Amino acid sequence: MALIELKELNKTYNNGQPLHVLKGIDLSIERGEFVSIMGASGSGKSTLLNILGILDNYDTGTYTLDGKLIKDLTERQSADYRNRMIGFIFQSFNLISFKTAVENVELPLYYQGVPRRRRRELAMEYLDKLGLTPWATHFPNEMSGGQKQRVAIARALITHPQIILADEPTGALDSKTSVEVMQLLKQLNQEEGITIIVVTHESGVANETDKIIHIKDGIIGQIEENIHHDAWGGPLMK
Amino acid sequence: MRIEIIHEIASSLRNNKLRTALTGFAVSWGIFLLIALLGAGNGLMNSFMGNMQEYISESVTVEGWRTSMPYAGYKEGRDIQLDQTDLDYTQAPRWQGTIENVSLATAFTSATLSLNGLSVAGSLRGVMPEYQQQEKIRMAAGRFLNPDDVRENRKSIVVSSAQAKELLPKNPEKLVGQWINTGSVAFRVVGIYSTDESNMTRLCPIPYSTYKGIYDPSDKVEAISFTVNGPNTLEEHRAFEKNYTAGIKARHHIAPDDNRGLWVNNGYTENLQMHKASRMIRTALWILGILTLVSGIVGVSNIMLITVKERTHEFGIRKAIGAKPGAILKLIIAESISITAVFGYIGMFMGMVACQIMDKTVAQDVVNIGGEEIRMLVNPNVGLDVALEATLLLIVAGTLAGAIPAWKAARVKPIEALRAE
Repeated sequence: MALIELKELNKTYNNGQPLHVLKGIDLSIERGEFVSIMGASGSGKSTLLNILGILDNYDTGTYTLDGKLIKDLTERQSADYRNRMIGFIFQSFNLISFKTAVENVELPLYYQGVPRRRRRELAMEYLDKLGLTPWATHFPNEMSGGQKQRVAIARALITHPQIILADEPTGALDSKTSVEVMQLLKQLNQEEGITIIVVTHESGVANETDKIIHIKDGIIGQIEENIHHDAWGGPLMK
Repeated sequence: MRIEIIHEIASSLRNNKLRTALTGFAVSWGIFLLIALLGAGNGLMNSFMGNMQEYISESVTVEGWRTSMPYAGYKEGRDIQLDQTDLDYTQAPRWQGTIENVSLATAFTSATLSLNGLSVAGSLRGVMPEYQQQEKIRMAAGRFLNPDDVRENRKSIVVSSAQAKELLPKNPEKLVGQWINTGSVAFRVVGIYSTDESNMTRLCPIPYSTYKGIYDPSDKVEAISFTVNGPNTLEEHRAFEKNYTAGIKARHHIAPDDNRGLWVNNGYTENLQMHKASRMIRTALWILGILTLVSGIVGVSNIMLITVKERTHEFGIRKAIGAKPGAILKLIIAESISITAVFGYIGMFMGMVACQIMDKTVAQDVVNIGGEEIRMLVNPNVGLDVALEATLLLIVAGTLAGAIPAWKAARVKPIEALRAE
């Protein structure tokens, strides 16, 4: 069974005027895939990602994650699933500004109840893996965009999630750093086998992934296999 | 997990110093004002109660006065004179067990006390030994009149320390045992009473029987005093007083509702009324204090509301990476509690210090009112139990103040929280 199964998923926002954002999404993503969801703004790609990340709920249809039906969960359950199965990478990094890099990275473990010392050890290990050891005690505003995003990636990885959801991970980065971040994600996918879903509106970013899912007006359009992108080896297009 | 949350709070408070300081100030200020207010209030009450208790004795004194209403064919404005019959009435079996220690006092007779060419004005009054207790007379030297003085019609006299000083300026205490002249009769001084708290400096008590024999051989009685056994509450004492005076009023044809026919000094009701008054003042102080505290609590909840709003995005992040609503709730409430507890304690401490400062400064000032020396504040302090209770109350209130915004924050959907800036 696929890691992620979406069947006839519908979502409507009721902010004054009803807005039908997702109009029957059918999608399945296998374990270990490196996928991008691409679409223009307003296409529903972010809503889809939020639903995948259990940050938002949906109206009809089903969403199965790792064999578990994700529907009508309590906030406690969804928090637990998010904590154990999903790692988030955001466009704006979403680091807590008054916590140092290492404190930010260890925060998911805090909510798992991992003891402080063990937490700190693991966080340092992941920071080291991402080449951030010298910045461990720096606050987010003392780091560059690329460094911040790498801290966020370390935070996403520390709980060994099933999937990593990245919402425009390069949106706030310059092109050189963007390449580095995408390389890092690709490497994580290839070496650790982590399923990664990237939401983007940039074809250059999407092109770095193995599969490009086009979404338009709330409906899945073309699904493009992009398995040979490595052969191109070209730089990211901005 | 327990220690973890302390680290979480510590870092969150450390990194929001201004907010922490403002919240803390609101809390400290509230509790400080409460303690200082209660301390000053207690000091005032102690002074008031202390001064009053010097004069109010646990006894009832009844004297004749002047009627203010016509009754039973008599006009108003009639002088009432008590006599032996009233004494008999008071000592009747009917009041046995209720009225005890009955004593009498005569009118006053002015006299000039003199010794070895020195003289001072005095006002002689025939009294019984119980008089000392009733009037709360304190002896500076010698003794007060005793039963033997009355039984044997002795020519004993008690003078005030002021008078003693006039008659024997060098060594007033040596006056005890000496005979002094009061015009026609010589009296032997048996004691000197201290006059510092009292303004009746001219009163010279002599035995009741002696006075009657020399100055007033009639069966007139000026004042009847006694202690009362039985009634406890203010209402019971009032009922007793009404009941008792009804008999005397009937005998002297005083209208039952005429309050001026008899002069009744009821120390019991006065005491109870004073306690009631002091309780009311105390309650008022507490209400004021609690209102002050409420303003502190409002301050805390206000700041907590803003804080939670300000930190919505942060809570969104925490939720996205797995914080359960309970964890967010716990974090905010724990923050609120630690702020109120720490700063409440500081405020309490400062309040106690303020009380100590009051004790060392204002409370040492002595004010002279009408010849009486009074300390405006006596022991202006708040019991540690009250202080701790108030601080505890503030902590509980602080928790509640934090709970509402915390609950709101815990409930907001992570996606909305993440969108907030």
